[in-house]
Amino acid sequence: MMTPIFEKALLIAAIGMTGIFLFMAVFYLLILLLDRLMPYREEKPDEENIVEFETEEDEEEK
Amino acid sequence: MGLEQLLPAIAGMTWQHLVMIGVGVLLIYLAIARKYEPTLLLPMGFGAILVNIPLSSALTQIDPSTGEAVEGVLNVFFQAGIATEIFPLLIFIAIGAMIDFSPLFRNPSLLLFGAAAQFGIFLTMLFASMLGYDLREAASIGIIGAADGPTSIVVASRFAPSLLGPISVAAYSYMALVPIIQPPVIRMLTSKKERLIRMSNTSNKQISKKALIMFPIVVTIVAGIIAPSSLSLIGFLMFGNLVRECGVLNKLSLSAQNELASLVTLLLGITIASTMTADRFIRVDTLIIIALGLFAFVFDTFGGVIFAKFLNLFRKEGYKLNPMIGACGISAFPMSARVIHQMGQKEDPFNYLLMPAISANVGGQIGSVVAGGIILTLVPFFA
Repeated sequence: MMTPIFEKALLIAAIGMTGIFLFMAVFYLLILLLDRLMPYREEKPDEENIVEFETEEDEEEK
Repeated sequence: MGLEQLLPAIAGMTWQHLVMIGVGVLLIYLAIARKYEPTLLLPMGFGAILVNIPLSSALTQIDPSTGEAVEGVLNVFFQAGIATEIFPLLIFIAIGAMIDFSPLFRNPSLLLFGAAAQFGIFLTMLFASMLGYDLREAASIGIIGAADGPTSIVVASRFAPSLLGPISVAAYSYMALVPIIQPPVIRMLTSKKERLIRMSNTSNKQISKKALIMFPIVVTIVAGIIAPSSLSLIGFLMFGNLVRECGVLNKLSLSAQNELASLVTLLLGITIASTMTADRFIRVDTLIIIALGLFAFVFDTFGGVIFAKFLNLFRKEGYKLNPMIGACGISAFPMSARVIHQMGQKEDPFNYLLMPAISANVGGQIGSVVAGGIILTLVPFFA
């Protein structure tokens, strides 16, 4: 049952699962770090993205 | 002049070709009538018909009259788009542009489910190696469990091109079948009491735009330093995400999400079908691969749910996780999250699991790409 290929596959599985958890743990810490270094602040909307619409009142004023 | 000269395709037709044309029709039926991943299964189904008509000019064939090889368009696409990995990597840009990582910033610990739910990949690889597949083939079969079509295609095209057809069909079919595969596995592994757990402590906080912009850049650098061979997968995904988040490339972001995704998906599906020729597909291997694909999806779900139950051992009452969330650690987004939310609502109509489920599901998208990168790195060392 324990063929050399199976043994290698077992080793890859062990390293692979550990590796994925390590990667995800690093990403988890990165998220915490980024969130701490760059907390949310009220951001002003980009002026270029503001589209002004003329309302009926504006037209009446004219 | 006999019929054979007039209609050589009929003369060359075997029962295997007819079976493959039937498979093509079945895939088209599943795509249209059942809406199972239609964007991929329909082109694949049509392509399967296209390449299984004898002497099809879509494939490279030997012209019987001249004896010369005639280059077919699907072979050209295959060599240009799949063998070079360009098509799946372009899809990654599109997927990256579609992913919003802010749910992960709200519940970062749920990222770990994206790791636990890759368990099926490695268990399937072990099982495939026991069945006599070599290491490269076993890894390619296992990666079906990534529940991520492009990752499966990248790994299979590099390690086992001859198995690319059945692996792609299995990966995309099971992704579409997540609502059927996951619920019975979850019900088997959890008690009603566990399924009723509410996760009310999930946050709705706002996330800074700067953090969302920095995330793909930092992840790419870190992943590149740890595992450079995973960079093509993770890098293209994160590039797409940066285009989305930067705020100055809205047009490109929309193009990546729509036109790029549609065009490449179209070409990807029909090109993969070029590997679905009767001589490659009608083999016992195909049935084994399709069975192992299901095994991988079942054990992905198992891995995620059991990991959630394990974490609950260390959590105080009131902070326990609903173990169903663990199943969302697979990459099938947002289908898996939706399935878990619906299962939660079925047990308790006032239990809203959608937000944590989405967070875990986004973690699964990263996890599947990381798993692909790790397999691409490790297997050549051992094979």
